[in-house]
Amino acid sequence: MVNPDDLLAATDFPDKIDRRKDVSGPEAFEFTGSGSEYFRIWIVNLLLTIVTLGIYSAWAKVRKTRYFYDNTVLAGASFDYHGTPMSILRGRIVAVAFFGAYNVAFMISDAAGFAALLLLGAAIPWLIWKSLQFKLYNSSYRGIRFGFGGTAGKVYQTYLVLPLLTLLSAYLLAPFTHQRIKKFQHDHSRYGGTPFSFHASVGSFYKAYLVAFLVALGGLVAIGVAFGGTFVAIIKAGGPKDAGPAAVGTIAIFLLVVYAWLFSLLPLFLTLIQNLIWNHTRLGDHHFASRMRAGKMAFIALTNMIGIVFTLGLFIPFAQIRSMRYRIKSMAILPSGSLDEFIAEAQESASSTGEAAADLLDFDLSL
Amino acid sequence: MNAELIVAAFYFDGKSSRRHSVTLTVRDQIAVISGDIRRECAISDLRVSERFRNARRKVTFPDGAYLEILDAVTFDALLARTGFQDSFVVWMQQSWRGALAAFAMTTALLVIGYLYGLPAAANLAAKALPANVERMIGRETLAFLDKRMLSPSALPPSRQQALSSRFRTLVPPAEGMPPYEIVFRKSRIGPNAFALPSGHIVLTDELVHLVDNDDAIMAVLAHELGHLHERHLMRRLIQGSMIGAGATLLFGDVSSVIANIPTVMLDLKYSRDAEREADDYAIAMLKKNGISVSAMIRVFEALEKESGDHPPYLSSHPPASERIARIGGAT
Repeated sequence: MVNPDDLLAATDFPDKIDRRKDVSGPEAFEFTGSGSEYFRIWIVNLLLTIVTLGIYSAWAKVRKTRYFYDNTVLAGASFDYHGTPMSILRGRIVAVAFFGAYNVAFMISDAAGFAALLLLGAAIPWLIWKSLQFKLYNSSYRGIRFGFGGTAGKVYQTYLVLPLLTLLSAYLLAPFTHQRIKKFQHDHSRYGGTPFSFHASVGSFYKAYLVAFLVALGGLVAIGVAFGGTFVAIIKAGGPKDAGPAAVGTIAIFLLVVYAWLFSLLPLFLTLIQNLIWNHTRLGDHHFASRMRAGKMAFIALTNMIGIVFTLGLFIPFAQIRSMRYRIKSMAILPSGSLDEFIAEAQESASSTGEAAADLLDFDLSL
Repeated sequence: MNAELIVAAFYFDGKSSRRHSVTLTVRDQIAVISGDIRRECAISDLRVSERFRNARRKVTFPDGAYLEILDAVTFDALLARTGFQDSFVVWMQQSWRGALAAFAMTTALLVIGYLYGLPAAANLAAKALPANVERMIGRETLAFLDKRMLSPSALPPSRQQALSSRFRTLVPPAEGMPPYEIVFRKSRIGPNAFALPSGHIVLTDELVHLVDNDDAIMAVLAHELGHLHERHLMRRLIQGSMIGAGATLLFGDVSSVIANIPTVMLDLKYSRDAEREADDYAIAMLKKNGISVSAMIRVFEALEKESGDHPPYLSSHPPASERIARIGGAT
């Protein structure tokens, strides 16, 4: 395992850098970004985006993504982002024109609007596909780019047929579809010439959904029991008006607790899913490990929200760094051999799909 | 001559993930790599990543190979010697002075945009909007209200007729009287009057009974005509959706509930401004037609008494006392 201290010590003597070949222990991902530093990038991005009426947002996205990638470190090397502002801007203009035309179609007539809706439904899977290709092609680690393959048939099956079936099944198929989407994304990703593969079963997705549902329900029951006595007392007293200000306070606290619980459920669920996905993803023969804790993630999300409310939004960049740091720190790669052995894919085929792709569905203005 | 600056770095060739230990130095505008790899490249062809506090800087070659700089201090000195300059944006991001200036300018822009920019833009947009869009929105709103909150008026048709025709004889205070149609309805939400973008002025039976004075009803109708003249509802719809879009961009990731708070809060000022403008229009209209403005005071007093100590729209409308004082100032 490469020890960061060895690297630092090696800085002055580059000839003595540790180069043991058999890297075998787990390599944790590290995140070195700082809230105060990112705040400055964020505020400048925000100002320039407002001044240019949104055009700068493409440049802002590149700056933000580079900051996050440059500060994500694995085995002594960081990631790099290669997306160019012009290609992002082009994608955004196309997307805005697309959705604008869709809205105008409904003003013309219902038939035109319906036709536009069908067209949009048919186009969205393709847009998702191209965006995935753009994102992966423009990401690299140790000088080797990621990539995304896939076929149009598989794309439409995953992003059009399955979601429609899920809708018809009253969402009973949701965990199945979720598994298929993740499987599609990971099975067709590659790092250089080395493919990723996905091994989480449909059953494990149903289990995660069930656990999340039971936890949500259990929490609501617990809150109900905790406040039940007080509510009975209030009703006996003849309603909140007669029970006095203490009763109104109790109701306010009850609503706050329920909201906090519902708000915490999303991070809880995302934690379950993220752990499930990465613990069952492989890169060649290398495994990954994700050790996110739901309680910690919910705590970060709740305190982030409070911070953002009380600073009127100024805490947003700090909040993003906090949750990003935790998510990245929770990940590790379990190498089956040296991480020096990856080979870039034959450059031509990789760049022809990657450069034709466009970032069409990413409306993140990097704020 | 200065000693040559030699920077320790890792080199990745872009073809394999293998890491090579190298040194970088610059001679005559040519970057020279030596160590595991030997390579030369004109510095004008290299891309240098921005300086971040904890991240290693990268120097990328045209073919995708790159260096990860290990010795940041020497590298900074080397960059300075080659005359490399950060862009203005990078300078702003990296100094607290620049960031604070950006913060001050952002705040100023948001405040000015809220106070002047957005209302002006919404005004232009409302005027540019095709009339049939306004008609459609207004008609659909009225149909919706008829289903949920309003029922046909119980006022005798002769009384409705009398009120409508009296209002028709009044002269508007400003050029360009908006097309309007007075509709009478019985309401489940108490005394009220409002104007829809389609030009429908809805007057509830409850309000007619409450003020029970024709001059006062003319004042109410004039106020609503003022809303139509200024296209207040369309303007607020546009302003609201723009604030909503901005808030969703900023806070949407955090919580959709929170993203809605600014939309509601920031709309209140626009709403109060609109009420004041409509009051001014009504005052001018009453005066032009020789009706005493005391008729309008009567309406506010009656509404204030009716709503009691819990005025339902205290915040969306200016306080009645202020509105009455304003009319007093106009006499």
